[in-house]
Formats: sequence, C-alpha cells, structure tokens
Amino acid sequence: MKRKANRGTGFKYAVSKIVQFAATLFVLSLVVFVISRIAPGDPLRAFYGEAVERMSAEQLADARTRLGLDESIFTQYINWLSSAFHGDFGISFKYKQSVTEVVSGVYMNTLILTLISFIIIFTAGIFIAVFCVLREGSLADRLICRIGVALGSMPEFFVALILVLIFAVNLGIFPSSGAYAIGQSENIADRLYHLVLPVMSIVISHIWYCTYLIRNKLSEELRQEYVLLCRVKGLTQRRIIYKHCLKNAMPAIVSIMAIFLPHLLGGTYVVETVFSYPGLGSLGFESAQYHDYNMLMVISLITGFFVVAANMAARIINERIDPRTEYGETVYGAENTGGTYEK
Amino acid sequence: MKNRESWRSKYERRDNFKRPYFSIAFLAVLTTGCLFAEFIMPQDPVYMNLAEINAAPSGAHLFGTDTLGRDIFSMIWYGGRISLSVALIATLISTLIAALYGTASGLAGRRVDEFMMRGTELLMSIPNILLIIFVQAMIGEPTVISIAVVIGITGWMPVAKMVRSEVKQIRNSDYILAARTMGGRFLYLLTRHLSPNFMPAIMFMIVTSVGSAIAAEATLSFLGIGLPTNVISWGSLMSLSQQAILSGSWHLLIIPGAVLVLTIISITDIGEYLRAAGRRERLL
Repeated sequence: MKRKANRGTGFKYAVSKIVQFAATLFVLSLVVFVISRIAPGDPLRAFYGEAVERMSAEQLADARTRLGLDESIFTQYINWLSSAFHGDFGISFKYKQSVTEVVSGVYMNTLILTLISFIIIFTAGIFIAVFCVLREGSLADRLICRIGVALGSMPEFFVALILVLIFAVNLGIFPSSGAYAIGQSENIADRLYHLVLPVMSIVISHIWYCTYLIRNKLSEELRQEYVLLCRVKGLTQRRIIYKHCLKNAMPAIVSIMAIFLPHLLGGTYVVETVFSYPGLGSLGFESAQYHDYNMLMVISLITGFFVVAANMAARIINERIDPRTEYGETVYGAENTGGTYEK
Repeated sequence: MKNRESWRSKYERRDNFKRPYFSIAFLAVLTTGCLFAEFIMPQDPVYMNLAEINAAPSGAHLFGTDTLGRDIFSMIWYGGRISLSVALIATLISTLIAALYGTASGLAGRRVDEFMMRGTELLMSIPNILLIIFVQAMIGEPTVISIAVVIGITGWMPVAKMVRSEVKQIRNSDYILAARTMGGRFLYLLTRHLSPNFMPAIMFMIVTSVGSAIAAEATLSFLGIGLPTNVISWGSLMSLSQQAILSGSWHLLIIPGAVLVLTIISITDIGEYLRAAGRRERLL
C-alpha cells in the first residue's frame, strides 16, 4: 500500500484517474454479468419465467440461439459488453421495451430523493456530532447515542410505515404514496410535498450512521496535542471544534460521505418501494418479482457507477485537501472507527 | 506524554460499560419462546379464522389478528423460528466465507492481497439489499434456505476486511513462522493459530450481522420478494401491514414491528458491548 501515488496536476494525472475509473467500471460490469449467469437452472427461465414450461423443445432451442446462450460465457460477455457500449442493455421482460428507456424515465426521481436526503443528513449530522462531542459523556450525549442506535437499528420499511401511520393515516397532512398527484407531474411544489415523507424516512433511518462516525472522529481529534495548544491559547471548546477540529477531520468526513453512499442508496430503494415512488428502487424490486434480469443488471450497474464515481471524487478531493492522504487508509479506515450499523 | 496517558484513561473511564443485561434477557426469553413455541401458542398460527379478521388486541387474541384472521401472538413465536434461523444460517455462511477470504488475502503476497481487497470494495459498491434481490432473482423462487444463503453470500465483505487486517498484523509472529516451517498448511494455520486471534476482533461484527440479517429478511419478505405469506416469518407477517394501516388496523404494524425492532436493538447493543470491551482489552 505504501506505493507512491500519482500526484500533481495536469494531463498525466487526469489520464491516470480516468484509466482507474474505467478499469473499475469494467470489472464492475464483469461482476454484474457473472451474477446474472449464476442461475443454477435454465437461464431461459429468467427470460421467460413460467412461460418456459409451455414452450416446445424447438421453441426452446430457437430461443437459446436467439439469445446467444449457445456461445461460451466469455463470448456472451463480449457480446453483451459491445452492445452495452452502444447503449443497448436489452429488452425489459416486464415492460417489453428497451431497458434504457424505462430507466431513463425514472432515474432522475431517485437522484433527487437521494440528493436531498444526503444534504440533510450531512448538515444535520455534523451539527449533532458537534453537539455531542462538546458534551462528551454527559447525559445529553448518552441519550442522543441511545436514541441514535435505536433509530439506526430500525429497518427502513418500518420507519417509513410508522411515518405513514402518523402523518398520512392519523394526521392526514402528507400523501402516503406516489411522486405527484394525478395531473400534477410538472408542479414542483406538489412534487416536493410528496417528497416529505420519503425524505424523512431516509433521514431518520440513516442519519445515525454518519453522525456516529463523525462524532467518533471529532472526539478522536479532540485528543490531539494541537487542541491542547488551542486551549492554552484560551480558545473556547466550541471555537476549537469549528475552527480547527472540523477542518482537520474534513478528509475523514469526505470519506465517510463516500462509504455512506451505498448504504443511503440501499435505503432509498427500500423507501421508494414502500411509498410507490417511481424510481430505480421501486423498479428494482418490481423487476426482482418478475425475474426481469436485464433490468436488475442495469440498475445494479447504474448504482455501482454512482458509488464508484463518488469514491473517485472523494479520493480526488482528499488529495487536494491533504496531499499526504493514502486513499485506502482514510476511506476504509474511517469505517473501522466504529461503523457497525450495517443495513 | 504523561498528559496523553491521563487523557486516555479518562476517556476509557467515561465509557463505563455495563453488561447489556436487559438485551441478553430479552433475547433469551425470545429464543426460548420461539424454540418452545408449541407450548406457548394459544392457537394454531396457520389457522385462518375468517370470522375474525383485523381484530384489535383483546383477551381472546392478545396481539389481535391479521388480515387473514390468524392470531398474531402465535405467529410471532412461530415466525421467530424462521426469522432467527435465517439470520443464524446467513451469519454462519458469511462468517465462514469472510474467514477464508480474509485469511487468504492477509497471507497472500502484496499484489494478490491488493487485488482481493479491490474485489471486496467493488462488491461493496453495490448496496447490499440490491445485491441480495439481484442474486435471489437469479436463483429462482425464494425458500427459507435460499434466502439465508443469499443473505450470507452477499454480506461477508466487511468482516473479511477486518479478518484480513488482523491476519496481516500477526502473520509475521514467531509462532506462525514456526508452524509454517513445520509444514502447517492454510487450513491448519487458520483453525489453530489465526482464528483464535482474529475471532475476538470480529466477534462484534458477527453479532451485528445477525441483526442486519434479520432486518434484511424482514425487508425482503415485507416487500414481497422474500418468503411468501404462507411461510410465517416476522417479515412475511408484516407484509400485510401496509394495506392494514391504511384501513386503521395499526396493531398489525406496531406489534410485530416492535418485536422485530427490539430484537435488532438488543443484538446491536450486545455487539456494541463486545466492540467496546474488545477495544478496552487491547488498550490495556
């Protein structure tokens, strides 16, 4: 791991980053392809579902050739990859149209939902973490930690349903499903109104994961010697944290943002499904029910793409903030400071 | 130097860890109840009494009945068996894979090690729940065993990373070297020398992953791509609750949900205790 990383600016740097990114995506596509072929039974079943049983032997053989299942796995992968480069990810078994078309209709909804939740979680998370660290070990701190663990342990769907029960069924102030009221798809206010409960569910069930990591990082930071110096200078604890500790903890926070993304996306997918919010998640769960495997492949690829891109961005930002950073150590080291709230 | 020492001990004293007695007691009662469900259940959990659907909690039905007229109190004990065994099997599988993969990676040379770790990072870039439904959709209709296996084979990555970093720390110890010189093979090293060393460090992760496995099974069954409603588990029991709460039967959501959440919180609590205790032991 102690290899000298490619640093500096300019063309060479950009190329090395792009090559790394492309290589990761390539391997990701290979992994997704392999998963899609692990079906122990007939892959045709994945394509046609129950209809397989009604097909004659000739029809089966025909379908096999048409889908290229006679070729070796390697050739199949090459074929799939080359059509993927042309934007052709196959036909959705359920929707009977191109997978790319179906996905392009909904992915924006997911991005909006995820982005809003992400921003809320990190702004609130940093403030809560500072609040806790300022009173480390006090009753308020311990209480927040307890509540946080409890909220963080709840499955997303349960949180979402509780919110539906309170705000939609009992109080009747927010809608319990959908992304917009009928005929209001262009109305931004109406869309935001429909986003309230999904965003709340995601924030409630995920905020503790990063607050806890940030809190631990800050509390570790407070034990550094420069903090002692600041205190000797006469700075208040609050000022030390905002002026010095947060700055020093920034690379770790950026890394936490990157490792947090897959958790957040997973949570978003579940919440989308509970609220029948048209997005990648509800699409994914629906596809799983129909064994629509082309769709699942594309959803996994898009999700993986965003996460890999976020990791790459975090790495570049961290190298800018602190040129000494060894990426692997910060990003995945951050989790070892205490992230046990796997969802 | 002295100053830093005193800070640390102050920090350690601050987290004065109490043993999680409440969580242990709760889990003990729950597991015993599930194991001996036959003696507790007032009525057959699969019996559908269509005359009494969505009944609120009362003397006849302690926790009420569900949309199919089944007794929720009985279903919780009976379904707990499935939920807990799915979680335990899944954790067993993921721990086994993690131990093998992590040790192999930790003992391998630099290049192989780096390659193997990049692999886990890549798998971790797809959200766990998406990976689970993807794999499950590929292998066909879900059964209790298949759900457990799928949750197991998609959840080993974080533990494997931990195992690997532990193994890397001890791989150059004298006793490992001695065992290797005498011709000790991979499995011998793993079972005799390495696992006793990394087990305490990953114990808390194993415990926590039981909790996440319970949550994963519940989520899948709730969303209708896990166990079907006729196989009673906590998740499939709750899959009917979304419709039910819209028509005002809140107990269908709150009661099984409370049991589910309390179970997961208790498990997390024990995991947290183990982690804190392990860390304290290392510092001392």
